Amino acid sequence: MSERIIEILVSSFTQILIPGIKVTIPLTLASFALSFLLGMVLAIVQVANIRGLKWFARFYIWVFRGTPLLVQLFIIFFGLPRLGIILDAFPAAVLAFGMNLGAYNAEVFRSAIVAIPQGQTEAAQMIGLNYPQTLVRVVLPQAFPIAFPSLFNNLISLLKDTSLASSITVIELFTTAQQIAARTYEPFALYCEAAVIYLAFSTLLTWLQTWLEKKLVWKTKEKYLVAEEQA
Amino acid sequence: MLEVKNLHKSFGTNEVLKGIDFQIDKGEVVAIIGPSGSGKTTLLRCISFLEKVDAGEITFGELHHDMAHITQREIRRIRFDMAFVFQSFNLFRNMTALGNVMEGLVTARKVHREDARKTALEMLRKVGMEDRAMYYPDQLSGGQQQRVAIARAIAQNPQVILFDEPTSALDPELTEEVLDVMRTLAKEGTTMAVVTHEMRFAMDVASRVVFMEGGVVVEEGPSKRVFLEPKEERTRQFLRRAYDAE
Ligand SMILES: Nc1ncnc2c1ncn2[C@@H]1O[C@H](COP(=O)(O)OP(=O)(O)O)[C@@H](O)[C@H]1O
Ligand SMILES: [Mg+2]
Repeated sequence: MSERIIEILVSSFTQILIPGIKVTIPLTLASFALSFLLGMVLAIVQVANIRGLKWFARFYIWVFRGTPLLVQLFIIFFGLPRLGIILDAFPAAVLAFGMNLGAYNAEVFRSAIVAIPQGQTEAAQMIGLNYPQTLVRVVLPQAFPIAFPSLFNNLISLLKDTSLASSITVIELFTTAQQIAARTYEPFALYCEAAVIYLAFSTLLTWLQTWLEKKLVWKTKEKYLVAEEQA
Repeated sequence: MLEVKNLHKSFGTNEVLKGIDFQIDKGEVVAIIGPSGSGKTTLLRCISFLEKVDAGEITFGELHHDMAHITQREIRRIRFDMAFVFQSFNLFRNMTALGNVMEGLVTARKVHREDARKTALEMLRKVGMEDRAMYYPDQLSGGQQQRVAIARAIAQNPQVILFDEPTSALDPELTEEVLDVMRTLAKEGTTMAVVTHEMRFAMDVASRVVFMEGGVVVEEGPSKRVFLEPKEERTRQFLRRAYDAE
């Protein structure tokens, strides 16, 4: 590698990393929060068998899983202004990513919820819990650890997919790399550098996942020992 | 105190309950026996509305309902005074033994946490599980789980407890600890309907026995009478086979 390239890589590193931290990560987290809530609601209306809403949820999932994310992003950012709905690039991206991933998370939650044995629900109802109480106290706390690995995989995919936001003028990690690549005529080096930063982020997330998964399981050895001591 | 009349239930084209009359008085222990597939579980599940009923009437204390046309609200009212002990325990896996027993009190009955805790510990003591209060179901043996499930049932202070083969998922050496708890409850005058294959337990503890086969009640009566002098040939055959098995 020539000295020039090394110099470019070094000087551009923080220039790419900073929008990564300031934009890519918040974009990922905000979109994920939206997709989490949306997914939860779309899953619950399906398992609770709420008539009109169940049909709506299936339709929603069908549409958002069946069309490209980039197209959804364009419809929201470039298309909606035609209907008088004008959004800044960042909220438009949050909305597009959140709504898209919401469809996937809905399926994750739904399959986790239906994996809970019916006996759990029946026992809850026999001690007098109503349906919402049964969900909140018994079903969701058991479904969440089942859903967790898939939710986290979706989060990691989302982190990488946020690079699509560069196409609707959000100045995030990848947009910055593109700009520097254009200026320096070193696309190979710059895009590889961007890739390395994404890789670093997703590796951190993977570590976080492993750590959280250990915390989540309620029947761990540690808990057993605590119980032993308290007894 | 609890009476069900002319109960009908089909699964698809399979008619499982063909007009059952069932009744239990306060303080009574009724054993429900019969071959596997005769509809015993379905009967208990219909009484507690875990299955949708096709036809039938229920009288429970002051309450009287057409079982096929009953609202969710009315069902909850009935369940308020009714407890169910499942064959597979169905303890909440995300809660400790204590949490399991407290849950109905705190969440459904809005009992103050500290009071609920006290009641729950008392119930766990009663079933000999006080020292395992902080254990999760996965850390307990089947017999222990079932005793916690019984503690959870009695904590609701129900008028009647329905038991669906409470010991048949257990290893033989664990059944006695559960049966002992049930004997204690019976002595205290708890009203219980028990589906069971434990013939000796049924004979000793039950005041009355109901023998079901093919979705009908074939014979019923005081337990000594049914066990020692069954009137029906089918009852006699069933008991002979049951004794041989024991
Ligand atoms: N959920 C169900 N769906 C379809 N058939 C069922 C269901 N539950 C029970 N049955 C059928 O009802 C009959 C009676 O079952 P059950 O009440 O479990 O009998 P028992 O408890 O006396 O062994 C059986 O033929 C069984 O296959
Ligand atoms: Mg059965």
